[in-house]
Amino acid sequence: MLELINLGHRYPGADSPALQGIDLQLQPGQCLGLLGSNGAGKTTLLSLLAGVLPLQQGEIRWHGERSLGLVPQQLAFYAELKVRENLELFADLYRLRGAERTRRLELCIAICALQDKLPRRAARLSGGEQRRLNFAIGLLQPARLYLFDEATVGVDAASRQRLLNAVEQLTAEGHGVIYTSHYLDEVERVAQRIVLLHEGRVRLDLDSRQLLGDEHGLLLEWQDEEPAGLRALLSRLQLSAEALPRGLRIANLGAVQLLEITRFLSEQAQPPRLLRFGRPSLEQLYLRLNGGRL
Amino acid sequence: MRLRALVRKEFLLLLRDPHALAVLFIMPTLFLILMAGAMSNYLQDKPPALRVTLTSPQSSPYSEFFGAALAAQLPGSDLRGTTDTRSARISLPEDFAESLLEQNPHALVLSFPPQLDKLSREHLRGAVRVALAQTRLLAFLEDSGALAGDLPLAERLQLIQQRTRSPVEERELLASGDLSGRANASQLSVPAWLIFGMFFVALPMAGAFQREQQSGALLRLRALDLNLGLLTLSKLLPYLSINLLQFALLLGIGVYGLPLLGLQGLSLPGSPLAYVLLAISLTLATCSLGLLLAALARSAEQALLLGGGINIILAALGGIMVPKSVMPEIMGRLAEVSPMSWALDAFLTLLVGQGTLTDIAPYCIRLLLLAAVFGGGGWLLFRRRVLQTQWTNH
Repeated sequence: MLELINLGHRYPGADSPALQGIDLQLQPGQCLGLLGSNGAGKTTLLSLLAGVLPLQQGEIRWHGERSLGLVPQQLAFYAELKVRENLELFADLYRLRGAERTRRLELCIAICALQDKLPRRAARLSGGEQRRLNFAIGLLQPARLYLFDEATVGVDAASRQRLLNAVEQLTAEGHGVIYTSHYLDEVERVAQRIVLLHEGRVRLDLDSRQLLGDEHGLLLEWQDEEPAGLRALLSRLQLSAEALPRGLRIANLGAVQLLEITRFLSEQAQPPRLLRFGRPSLEQLYLRLNGGRL
Repeated sequence: MRLRALVRKEFLLLLRDPHALAVLFIMPTLFLILMAGAMSNYLQDKPPALRVTLTSPQSSPYSEFFGAALAAQLPGSDLRGTTDTRSARISLPEDFAESLLEQNPHALVLSFPPQLDKLSREHLRGAVRVALAQTRLLAFLEDSGALAGDLPLAERLQLIQQRTRSPVEERELLASGDLSGRANASQLSVPAWLIFGMFFVALPMAGAFQREQQSGALLRLRALDLNLGLLTLSKLLPYLSINLLQFALLLGIGVYGLPLLGLQGLSLPGSPLAYVLLAISLTLATCSLGLLLAALARSAEQALLLGGGINIILAALGGIMVPKSVMPEIMGRLAEVSPMSWALDAFLTLLVGQGTLTDIAPYCIRLLLLAAVFGGGGWLLFRRRVLQTQWTNH
C-alpha cells in the first residue's frame, strides 16, 4: 500500500535531521504502532505522510491512489460551528454525496457517540467530546490509510473502547493505519506491528506478537534472600536470569521448566513475595528499549 | 462543492462572532448617527441661530433701526435683550446716533461668550458690520435730505435694504477632491464612517484565519490537497459580500435613517454606476488589506491590535475623524497617503461636487492599485503561511 524509501527531513536551522534513512512498508489491513520519545521524529514522519511538510529526501511511494484520513493531536475543527455543521462541512470537503455520505455520517456519529451532541457548538463540548468529534471527522473521510496521533487523549473509558474498536475495524476492512499514542496499552491492542523511532531513525521494527511473545517469562521477588539452590536449578534447566534489585526475571521458559521451578519454590520454608508469569506489557518493553523514556 | 462549503463556513463563523458584527455594522452606524448629529450645527447649510443681547444707553431711531437691520441679518436668531450669560452682547456707544456720520465714530462693543464657536462669531461679526453700514447709510441719506426722516421703521428698513442689495448669483462649480469644507454633516459623516467600517472587515477576516490555523482545522484542509487559490477565494468572497452589504446599508441609513432622527438626510446625486465602481474599488482594497493582515499576524489578538491600530491611524490621517478642510496644509498633504482619504474624496466628489464616474475614476484607480499590491503581496504571504502550517504537538 505504502512504501517509504530512505525518507529524511531536516528543519531549517536544526543541527541534526529530524528524520533520516527511514525505510518502511505498510500493507493493507495492517496497523503500525509508531512509538518514540518526544523529538524522536514521529510528528515529522506523520507530517510528511500527510503532505504537510515538503519532501526533502527520499520517496513516499503509494501503491494505488493516495488517500489519507487524518486524526491529528490538535482539535482540527471549527469551535464556533455546531457538531453537525462541522461534520457536514468536512463531508462536503471530502466530496461525499448521496447514500454514501449519509451512511458514513451516521456511522461516524454512532461510533463516536455524538448523536446527542449534533446541535451543540463544538466549543461547548467537554474535552473528551471534542476529541470524539475530532476522531469522527477523520474517520468520515474515505481513505486507504488513516493516521491517528494521540487520538484518544481525554476520552472516557467507554468511548475509548468504541474508538479503538473502530480502529480495529478499519484494519479488519483492509485499510492501513498508523497509530501513535502515549497510551501504550492502546498501541499494544490495535497494532500488529511496532516501529520504535529514536533520534530520527527506526530503532526497532517488529511484529507485535513476535515482540511481546519472545519475552514470556517469570518474575520473582523475595521477602528476604534468594533461596539457596535456585541458581543451580536454573543452570540445570539451561535458563538464564536477569538480576533485579529484590528478585529475578527468568526469560523464555517452557511448561516443564516452569513446573520444576514452582515445585522447588513450594518446598522452601519461605515462599517468594511475588511470582508473576506471562509476557511483559508493551510499556515495560518500551521503557527498557527506550532507556526509560516515554 | 468545496468552494461553496468553505464560503458557507466563513459566513457561519462570522455570524457566530458578535464582536465582528458589532465592529462591522453597529460601530459605523453609531458613529455615523452620532457624528452627523454632533456636526449638524457646525456643518449645516443654513447659518447658525444665535442668541444676542443688544444694549443701548440711549434709545434713538437709529439704535432701533440698527436692531431691526441686525435682526434681518440673523434670521431665526433670538435678539431679545436678556441677561443670559450664554448670549453674545452688542453694546452701542453712548453717542451712537450722533457719531454715525463722523469719520471715526465710537466703537460698538461686541462681546462673545466663551462657548460660542468660530463660525457663529464670524456670522455675527458679518451681520453687525452690515447692520452698522446700513444704519450709517440711513443717517447719511436723512442728513442729506434724500430720505424723509419721519418714515416708519419698517419702510426705512425696506428702502435701505433695496439700496444696499447687490445682485450676486452664486454658482457651484463641478469639482473633485477634498470638498469637506463644503460638505454638510451627513455628506461628511455618512461616507467617512462607512469607509471606516468597511476597512474594519480586515479584523474578523484575519482573526478567523488565525483561529483556523491555531485550531488545526487548516492542517486538515492542507492534508486534503485543497487548491490554495480556492482556499484564498473562499476567504475573500464572504468578506467582499459583507463589505458591499455595509456600503448599501450605511448609505441607506444616510438617505432614509437620518431624516427619521431629525437630521439632514443624504441625497445621492449622479450615476448609480459611479457608486457601484466606488463600492467595488473600496471593497477590493479593504479585503486585500485583510488578506495581508491575515498573513502577517501571528494570532487573533495580534490581528485585532494590528488591524485596529492601522485603521485608526489611516482614519485620523485620511480625514475620517477630522475633516481635511480644517487640517493645516501639511496634514492635508499627509492625508493623501491614506486610502481612506482617496475613498472619502471620491465620495465627496459625487455627493458635494456633483461629479461623474470620470471624476472619481482617479480615486478608484488608486484604490484598485492598492488592492493589487496588497492583494498580491497578501496572497504570497498567505500562501507561505498556509504552507508553513505544521502538525504540532501539545
